[in-house]
Formats: sequence, C-alpha cells, structure tokens
Amino acid sequence: MDALVGERRISYDARGLSEPNADVPHVSEIAGTSAVFDAKDLTTRQINLELRSLIYEQGITDVTVRNPGSKHSIGVAILHRANITYEGSLGYFACGLVDGPQITIKGRVGWSSCENMMSGTVVVEGNGGSLTGAAMRGGDLVVKGRVGARTGIDQKGGTIIVLDSVGSTTGFMMQRGRQIICGDAGPGLGDSMYDGAIYVGGKVKSLGVDCVPGEWTDADTELIERKFRIYGLGTPPSFQKFVCGKLLYNYDNLEPSERRIVL
Amino acid sequence: MADQFHHIDREPEKTTGIDAEYLSGKRHDYQSDASVSAHVDLLAGTPGDDINWLEDIEMLEEDGIPAVFDRYSNSFLKLYFPMPDDKAERDTIARKVLLLHLQSGNSYGIQLKALHCKYPQPTLGSWVSGSAVAGADWKAPVLEGWAAKAH
Repeated sequence: MDALVGERRISYDARGLSEPNADVPHVSEIAGTSAVFDAKDLTTRQINLELRSLIYEQGITDVTVRNPGSKHSIGVAILHRANITYEGSLGYFACGLVDGPQITIKGRVGWSSCENMMSGTVVVEGNGGSLTGAAMRGGDLVVKGRVGARTGIDQKGGTIIVLDSVGSTTGFMMQRGRQIICGDAGPGLGDSMYDGAIYVGGKVKSLGVDCVPGEWTDADTELIERKFRIYGLGTPPSFQKFVCGKLLYNYDNLEPSERRIVL
Repeated sequence: MADQFHHIDREPEKTTGIDAEYLSGKRHDYQSDASVSAHVDLLAGTPGDDINWLEDIEMLEEDGIPAVFDRYSNSFLKLYFPMPDDKAERDTIARKVLLLHLQSGNSYGIQLKALHCKYPQPTLGSWVSGSAVAGADWKAPVLEGWAAKAH
C-alpha cells in the first residue's frame, strides 16, 4: 500500500463523491506571507480548500504545493492574485477558471488545463494534454513542451504560447485571443476559427476550414517580442501568421456550390 | 459592503438590453468624465508584467455610444465623453474605465456575489488586495409557501 502514490492513495466515498469532507485540512507550514504544504495524502477537494483558505482568508501571497501527484482539477477557481508553485505534474482540468494568480507547474498537465481561465499567468515546465487552454478568456498560458490536439478550442481571449509542437485542430472555433506556436502544428490548424491570430514557427501540416495566412504588422512583432521577454524565452523564431478568412461569416447565404468549395 | 447592494433584493426586471447602467441602477462619474479614471494604473491592476487580460479589452460601441464590455456582468458600460481619434488611446480609456468599474465594486456581477456566491471568494476579485470574502455562509433560498410534494 505504501507504494501507491497520488490518486490511488485516496479512499473515496462509496457513493462516488470525490471527497465528502469539506473541512480545510490546515496542513501548511506558514512563514510570513508564504506557505508550503504536502499534497501527497490530500484529496483534490482538500488541496483546493487549503489553497483557498491560504489565499482568501490568511492573506498568503506565495504558496508552494509539494507532491500534487497528477490529481485532477487542482487549483481551480482561484480568484485572487497570488504566486502558486506546483512541484510536480497535475491531471485533468488543472488551474481551470482561475482569475488572477501567477502559477508555475514544475511538471506536465493533463487534458483541458486552464480551461476557462479569466486572467493571470500559468507556466507549465513540461508537456500539456489535449484541449490545453480550452475556452480560455484572458491571461497568459505558457507550455514549454508539446501539447495535444485542439489547443485553445473555443478560445475567447488571452495568449497561449507553446515552445514545441501542437496536435491537430489547434485553434478550433477560436473566437479571439492569440496563440504563439514555436514548433510544428498538426492538421486542421484554425479550423472554423472566427477571429484571433495563430502564429506558427514550424511547419503546418494543413490549414482547417476558413483559416488563411494573415498580414504581418508591427503590432504582431511587438506582441511576440514582449511575451518572449516577459517569460525569458530567448530570441523568438520567425513566425507565420494565420487568421480567419471570414468566408463562413455568412454561411447561411452561401449557395450549395459555394458551400462545397468552402467546406 | 452589503448595505450598498440593498436594491438587489428580488429577481430583476427582465430586459433585452445589456446596459451596465441599467443593471447597477446608476450612472457613475467615470462614465461622464475621462479625468476620473485617468490615474488608474493598468500594470498594477493586472497580474504579470504586462496588462494581461486587459489586452483583449477595446473600446466598442453600443446603441451608437462608445462603450466597454464588462465580462463580469455581461453588459456594456457606456461612456458619455468625447473620444480621441487614435484607437490605441480609446482602448486605453476603455481599459482604465473598466478596471475602475471593477475595483470600485460597481459591476453588477460583483454586486450579485453577496447574494449568490456558493463558496468563499474575494468580493472584489483579483483587482483589489485584501477584499472581503463573499459566499462563506450561502444558504439555498426557500420559496415562501412552497413545500416538496410527498412521494
């Protein structure tokens, strides 16, 4: 039993509830405005309760979480400014719905990290799963490794930066915001995007429906240089810019023959 | 803080408009005077080393009037003062007014927190440090005169 780590160490309620205990565990070591706690034997709910108690009620501005154990839904809905460091990987839906914190994840993340993120910064030192930054609305998400498919699906704002390659259908139905992909992009880039911009430094396997090369402006150069400088990412490579061709904006008015061309 | 939200004591009247002024019940001085929000520090009010989420905020138009969209109440905050021609300057005004609107707790979405938050969270979000916590004692509303059917 001692060999079990992460999720498998946790005993779950027989009815399927992840953690019926809603008490804050109060396990942190606190020094001034900084706190550290070990999440090895805590459930997802206990970890999130501890984080909220520290940041909302105890005025802690710097939190380190040790041994997060790739548990799912860690650090969701943190709605305040604070520095949070996870010393390990996180599972699905990591740091979703956050509004304000500056987060560093010293590991990998599973599906849908930073889903619906409102503001703040998240830096992932490793790789990300599919749906990274899904429905993201604001802030910066930096993944220093690779990410899976449908990165930034339904993105409505903010900036996603990936230092390596991205999977298929990246930017699917993107409505706003920016994606800076330093490596290669899989097939269907920007499929059915409405707006926003996708910058790709490597090769693009294929463009999705209504995604077209965009005109480069000084504002694009300023954006990329600023983000690379802020996150210490070195000299940016050369990028191609892709935007929405807007042929689908009036989809209902298209003739059947036109639909065949577009679709 | 709850005292200033006393007007939200019932289900609001329904309308098809999405006007922040209608929702919050008053027009604020920063909607009519650009100088009121001129001092707002965008970098200090946002996480990270640039303006972060405000990068996506720009001056829009609602009913032919310059307006900034408040995503926290899904409504437009109309501005009734002359706008510069330069788009970058207009966008900066929009960002400053919106941040002041949020920091001062005037956004309708923030006002609803006192009544409807189901778990603890800072009332003024991430824009003000040391903000009071709302939602720590949420109780499910009870409809007067209603009782569950016996099964």
